[in-house]
Amino acid sequence: MRGRMMTLGLAIPGRSGIHRAPLWAKYLVVLAFGVCALAWREAPVALALIGLTVLLYAAAGRRVLACWADPLRYLWWMFAILGAHQWWLAFSAGATGMESAARAVAIVGGMLAALQAARLLLLVTELTVLMDGLGRALRPLRHVGIDPEALSLGVSLMLRSIPAIAASAVEVGDAARARGIGRNPVALAGPVVVSAIDYAHRTGDALAARGLLDHDDEPTG
Amino acid sequence: MHESTVSFESAALAVEDEAAVDASAKAVPQRTVLSPVTLTLSEPRVAVIGANGSGKSTLLKMINGLVAPSGGRVLVNGHCTRQATKRVRRDVGFLFTDPLAQLVMPVVLEDVELSLKASVPDRGERRRRALEILERLGLDHLAHRSVYDLSGGERQLVALATVLAAGQRILVADEPTTLLDLRNNALLQRTFATLEQQVVYATHDLDFAARADRVLVVDQTRVVFDGAPDEAVAAYRQLALREA
Ligand SMILES: Nc1ncnc2c1ncn2[C@@H]1O[C@H](COP(=O)(O)OP(=O)(O)OP(=O)(O)O)[C@@H](O)[C@H]1O
Ligand SMILES: [Mg+2]
Repeated sequence: MRGRMMTLGLAIPGRSGIHRAPLWAKYLVVLAFGVCALAWREAPVALALIGLTVLLYAAAGRRVLACWADPLRYLWWMFAILGAHQWWLAFSAGATGMESAARAVAIVGGMLAALQAARLLLLVTELTVLMDGLGRALRPLRHVGIDPEALSLGVSLMLRSIPAIAASAVEVGDAARARGIGRNPVALAGPVVVSAIDYAHRTGDALAARGLLDHDDEPTG
Repeated sequence: MHESTVSFESAALAVEDEAAVDASAKAVPQRTVLSPVTLTLSEPRVAVIGANGSGKSTLLKMINGLVAPSGGRVLVNGHCTRQATKRVRRDVGFLFTDPLAQLVMPVVLEDVELSLKASVPDRGERRRRALEILERLGLDHLAHRSVYDLSGGERQLVALATVLAAGQRILVADEPTTLLDLRNNALLQRTFATLEQQVVYATHDLDFAARADRVLVVDQTRVVFDGAPDEAVAAYRQLALREA
């Protein structure tokens, strides 16, 4: 988790056509991947979409392509569990082993393709640009009482908090091992949750202090 | 630039003491976090020292309305922190002990730009100004680095840059040097010395505290000494020794 997870939201600068494409086009591609993966749910389509993401990463340059496999490197177990689960669902509903496998590939492959497309957007776009664009795109929401700037700040905070929580999970794990407690996930969950809440608390204070939470909130105390 | 005043008018904080609740009690018992304090801070450098849990952070957080007093009030340049929180925060920047908790964007320059967003609408101009601020603090070489890759000292200085970018006249800092090594500690203190802002800071570093114009000693929720740095440090030492 330590390596690339820490750089989530950190774009890899470059001059490729993919980098320079307008923001709306990038969002559109991400959306298209999601829609295709959801609409077809066929193993060949999923595999084709995955292949397409590899091509897009390659077109964005060698350094971007080098990150393609990161989710598989760190989250392969998640995909494996999901795949097994999908296979089992289809199999127990009466499909043959092969049909069930195709079904699992379709679903998990589609998810992977959509995830890769979303990651590509983050890898080739500066977060500031993303947030500005998101803020602009969400402007109509102002009429229903939602502050688009705050929403786009929220999105960047969400991205920001993932590595922070991952780091604290690593730390809690290390501390437990140092005390000979081992890797019991139930025992580790407590401190990780506590530190996540503490992190959220401190970040909230810090944002308020920076005047980034614009509304006049009731101060704590 | 530091022509600012922070006034505490019997400002106090009591909280409900959940731990002491028992079935027979009618009201939830109160626990004092900060006893009523009345003072006016207008010196360029004010330090706050005292034991762990004495109430330093609480006192500091009252200055920008992160903590509202449950009794009395706090005024910053005449504005009440409870009623005019937004106005007060335009005057008060806050630097926390842990810089990672306050950096939002993954890239240094982007985070400084975020502070400027409210005041500088043009993106190009914003970038220019952000670089200028980093340059002034000698941090321009870090502009395009990831905040995760910085050392603790570099992060703290970047956090300071993001606070300064917002342009407030008062800087409140809660133990800004605690996580820093000697070299970075010296660097941060040197940077502090050059600031035009009024600075109110809590610290456990008595040498750092001694560089202030005025020092408050907090002990068990009370401000027990308020005056010249050397006398304050002596008073604090005596308190600590008496308890030991
Ligand atoms: N909102 C609150 N509710 C309940 N208790 C609080 C609250 N804020 C602070 N306290 C408690 O009040 C006491 C003083 O806290 P404070 O953080 O101000 O101490 P401090 O002087 O900054 O200590 P340190 O040197 O450890 O940072 C502590 O016992 C703390 O747990
Ligand atoms: Mg404190």
